[in-house]
Amino acid sequence: MSLAAESPVHSSSSSDDFAAFLDAELDVASSDTSPDEDQDDEENDDDEEDFQEPSAKRQKVEDLEPTKELEGSNVNTSSEPMDEDICPPHPGFIKGMCMRCGQIEEDESGVAFGYIHKDLRLNSKEIDRLRGVDLKNLLEAKKLILILDLDHTVLNSARLVEISAEEEYLRHQALSMQADADRSIFELPGMHLLTKLRPFVRTFLEEATKMFEIYIYTMADRAYALEIAKILDPDKVYFDNRIISNADCTKRHQKGLDVVLGAESLVLIMDDTEIVWQRHKENLILMERYHFFASSRRQFGFSTKSLSETKKDESESDGILSIVLNVLKRAHQMFFDAFLEKKLSAKDITELSSRDVRKVLKLIRQEILQGCKIVFSRVFPSSARAEDQPIWKLAQQLGAICSTEVDASVTHVVSTDKTTEKARWALQNGKFLVNVHWIEAANFLWSRQREEDFQITSSPKNPPD
Amino acid sequence: MFFHIQLERNMQLHPRHFGPHLRDKLVAKLMKDVEGTCSGRHGFVVAITGVDDIGKGLIREGTGFVTFPVKYQCVVFRPFKGEILEAVVTMVNKMGFFAEAGPVQIFVSNHLIPDDMEFQSGDVPNYTTSDGSVKIQKECEVRLKIIGTRVDATEIFCIGTIKDDFLGVTSDPGAAA
Repeated sequence: MSLAAESPVHSSSSSDDFAAFLDAELDVASSDTSPDEDQDDEENDDDEEDFQEPSAKRQKVEDLEPTKELEGSNVNTSSEPMDEDICPPHPGFIKGMCMRCGQIEEDESGVAFGYIHKDLRLNSKEIDRLRGVDLKNLLEAKKLILILDLDHTVLNSARLVEISAEEEYLRHQALSMQADADRSIFELPGMHLLTKLRPFVRTFLEEATKMFEIYIYTMADRAYALEIAKILDPDKVYFDNRIISNADCTKRHQKGLDVVLGAESLVLIMDDTEIVWQRHKENLILMERYHFFASSRRQFGFSTKSLSETKKDESESDGILSIVLNVLKRAHQMFFDAFLEKKLSAKDITELSSRDVRKVLKLIRQEILQGCKIVFSRVFPSSARAEDQPIWKLAQQLGAICSTEVDASVTHVVSTDKTTEKARWALQNGKFLVNVHWIEAANFLWSRQREEDFQITSSPKNPPD
Repeated sequence: MFFHIQLERNMQLHPRHFGPHLRDKLVAKLMKDVEGTCSGRHGFVVAITGVDDIGKGLIREGTGFVTFPVKYQCVVFRPFKGEILEAVVTMVNKMGFFAEAGPVQIFVSNHLIPDDMEFQSGDVPNYTTSDGSVKIQKECEVRLKIIGTRVDATEIFCIGTIKDDFLGVTSDPGAAA
């Protein structure tokens, strides 16, 4: 009893008798109450047991789980040193919840993948892992990745208010042909837009989907992208959820492959705007812009009549899309090469995964102007470094050899003016004299163009500065 | 998990409804307002099963609207961590798959899909075992375990797993077809 210990303090002023009496009394009291207390204790014990039983169970479960985890981690450490199956680091979050362990974390790290799910974020390690898995799956299916821009690449849209009187017939067409599945002109309900598909696009998609996993990647907003996807892909067989719009870009006014869950070495991009792909120029197949509507032409500073006004269109059979499809087919063929026909083993997959479609594209491109030696005349100022000129670089990418001086091996003189010294030299020596568009056309059309179609028509009256 | 609980709500009623059918109007409005909503505390209100008590109305000055405190019984659904649920697969992609159990959206990441199941892209993206006997695709029913929940004001989102005994596909309309 604690009182006994304390008693000397109290008893310092009182008699020992009183202390003894107290002790005796307390003892009796305690012995009296002891049965009650015991009972209480027992009851308490019972209660505690009641409480403890489930908690013990819980403990067991908890005991089991860590050991399982430990086993798992042991297996992992023995086979591969990566801490793959343990959180943290969390592989990614959906609505702020780790997608592996369910823990809620408030930090907003990782790259957002809004086009897959609006609240999905992945960390870079997980992205790499997914890309690796994807690479293997794609190669097994003998597919590459194709990224497709919408506006000016596979279609052209114009706002209804900008439709001129001469184009009004298109609206009637869009209305009257609504039942026709193969029509190419659409009025987008609720968006006040008239959309014209580029000729050949349906065949293009049908063919391309056999060789590629296709993504849509547009700088337009998501609602528009989804609406277009519905038109291009009514049965949802081409794009699935691979539709990336401006909201998903990680950098303003730049398109990046960082939000694409695929290996960069398998990606080909079709886009009409080179500047947005600063980081991935090697993957890019630059497309000639498709201007169908007059308003679209005006936007880019053309004053001539548009296709819509003259009631013409690009050719279905040998238009740009058909040309590019052939390039894609060749790239695909060259990439898989001998593996195309046989069933792939694990070893083949490893071999293929070291290949790079960018190199293939480079090779194809270099064949275009193979054997041409080009000299430029009055295309860029002579004070500038020739090697830095975009047109110089372009010609080199197309496989031509560029030179600053004329000699016997030169085949083409590219000039803006018939009267320059080099141009006259070309005429005298029977070399081709062409304008700059010859190179640009070769770039867009993926073949060397007839030089006769690119004559320098008129000498500029004012000498260029 | 489903619960049958009593909740209380203050209902505002337009004076044009004051008449012999006032109670019916009030109950109808209650159902319209409450069923299908979600509260972080109770989960989704699935159905109202009865109205226990309608208190005295309080007239709002200026508008003539009357506020009634209403006590009602309802069935609510709230998912818990560790709970086993059956859900219908709504979307499959290389990240994993999404499924729905009534109003609850559940995501099962490919970390939590058994290792022997691999993603197959194509017309109908799916996860398939190496021998092809089990396939997870859109419209499939799966039994899964909730391992995390996130409750917002208007929706509940869960992370689930099928990487455990007795979890996985329970019925596959694709296989039957």
